[in-house]
Amino acid sequence: MATGFDELLDPNGFVPHGVCLLWRPDILALHIASDTLIGLSYFSIPLALLYFVHRRRDLVFGWVALLFAIFIVACGTTHLLAVWTLWNPDYLLEGVVKAITALASLATAATLWWLMPRLLVLPSPKELERTNTALEREIAVRRQAESRYSSFFNNLAEALFIVEVRPDGDFAYEAINPALARATGLNPEQLRGRRVRDALSPEVADAVLGRYSQCRDTGESIDYEEVLSLPVGQRVFHTMLVPMKDANGRVVQLLGSGRDVTERRRLQEEMVQTSKLATLGTLAAGMAHEMSQPLNIIRLWAENILARLRGNALDPDRVDRALTLVIDQTERMARLIDHVRTFGRRDGGSTQVFHPVTCINSAIDLVRHQYALEDIEIVERAASTDLLVDGRPLELEQLILNLFSNARDAILALRGAGRAAGRIMVDVSGEQDGHTMAIQVTDDGGGIDPALLPRIFDPFFTTKEVGQGAGLGLSIGYGIVDRMGGRIDAANVDLEDGHRGLRITIILPSQPASSLDRELSHA
Amino acid sequence: MPEPFHILIAEDEVLAAMALEDFLSLRGFRVSVAGNGIEALERFAREKIDALVTDLRMPRMDGHALIREIRQRDAELPVVVMTGYLTHDSDLTHDRWKPLEIFSKPVNPRTIHATLQRMLGMPPATADA
Repeated sequence: MATGFDELLDPNGFVPHGVCLLWRPDILALHIASDTLIGLSYFSIPLALLYFVHRRRDLVFGWVALLFAIFIVACGTTHLLAVWTLWNPDYLLEGVVKAITALASLATAATLWWLMPRLLVLPSPKELERTNTALEREIAVRRQAESRYSSFFNNLAEALFIVEVRPDGDFAYEAINPALARATGLNPEQLRGRRVRDALSPEVADAVLGRYSQCRDTGESIDYEEVLSLPVGQRVFHTMLVPMKDANGRVVQLLGSGRDVTERRRLQEEMVQTSKLATLGTLAAGMAHEMSQPLNIIRLWAENILARLRGNALDPDRVDRALTLVIDQTERMARLIDHVRTFGRRDGGSTQVFHPVTCINSAIDLVRHQYALEDIEIVERAASTDLLVDGRPLELEQLILNLFSNARDAILALRGAGRAAGRIMVDVSGEQDGHTMAIQVTDDGGGIDPALLPRIFDPFFTTKEVGQGAGLGLSIGYGIVDRMGGRIDAANVDLEDGHRGLRITIILPSQPASSLDRELSHA
Repeated sequence: MPEPFHILIAEDEVLAAMALEDFLSLRGFRVSVAGNGIEALERFAREKIDALVTDLRMPRMDGHALIREIRQRDAELPVVVMTGYLTHDSDLTHDRWKPLEIFSKPVNPRTIHATLQRMLGMPPATADA
């Protein structure tokens, strides 16, 4: 090996490059100094590059710096060799190193051009700075929004809470807002992050967990009313739960909002009482008539028998008949009195499971005669349904009476305008599944202005003239139906006989009759 | 013996009408009963009626309408009104409806009897009260 290499490096007649420079010391010194400086500088540049690449690990295209390093080292080497060949004519070695330099330069140049488009799109530090500023602004805006939302959460009067649905399906409170804390007396710090069952009393936890589970399982928003025994006492809340889902559709969070409706409930009951008085007022006139009838019959038959007794024209059969009549009439009066008594009761009786049809019939009985006198016929088209509903029978009866009274007013008003009217239809039907039932009261009193339809359940809204109605009736009715978990709607209808009228539809949740025994055994 | 006065009772409560009918019959009147205003008008068209005893609230045609119809045919017919209550807007107390007397239910049949006698120009009864 040594032999071959030595041959290659053997001068073979080459003269050292210094010969070309005639060994002039000044020229030699110039070349030696320049080439040495260039070589050393070239050797130091790659070191700087490598150090830079080493420190800036995030640098893209760091390998290009390596390429440059190789190319520059090669360049440096050619210059040092130029010094060497002044005395030693190793021109082959120099050529080989130059060839290596040429290859490295070519590769670097080609790579550089090849990379140029990609290098051009690299953001400049200026651009990066601008982007950074924009990002900072964005963050500030976000922070502001976040603080605004958290200010909503903390300052809204609505009681708000966030429930986390854990992977095992259990529930824990993420946060409750101050309004909820005030309304319930619960401590936000004690609730945060705790499982519902650990955070609340067992009864309250049972009640709310049932609703949370329902919302989690159905994945749908629900709203409901609940009575809760809280640190602040027994309160009625109207609560709404909205499920939040992750990308896979799993419910991971429940957003809740609640409103304390205890006071509203109490006011509503107050209004029911007020309306009862109002209804009683309108019924009083009818009652006077209803009472005077049996009294009149009793008086007439008593006078009749007395007259016959004094005229010696009395037979036992007639006395028997007259006294039986008198007894019947006193019973008729007693029923009326009973009705007024129960009607005036403040609590309207406790809630119970009952047959709505009985209520409807009772309401019809109360006014049928009175309305017949005004040529208003009440037509019952009650499908024989033995479905049961849950609520206060007297309230439902009051509502039905109220609908009758409105129907009567509409009919009389239409007649006043010279048009024929005089029928009130009562329909009762049960859904096939037995879970809901419908009560419809339809009159042929002409209906009402469609623009007014949405307002007729508002308190104090009335279509009647001043002094004819307080306008409490239907709003009370709305409250009654709402408490029974049902809904009430109004619509104008065209009847088959060509008349037009208003139809009030009450939809109530119901249960099959067989459940009555079970419910009664609870009572 | 002169023809007895013919009284028409318009009253939808059958039991009340029956008792009054019996009471007045015993006292020598001829009594007919109509269940509402329309029936009463039909009787008027067919028969000679000397006095009307009527309720106000009745189906089909009430007492007010009946009295208005009657007054167009006979300005002098004695009318006795028996009513459960008189509405404030009733104008029956106005003189143009006379001869007309109003009684509240429960009515005293003896008072009805005495009123009919007076309005029909009969001598006051003495036998029984």
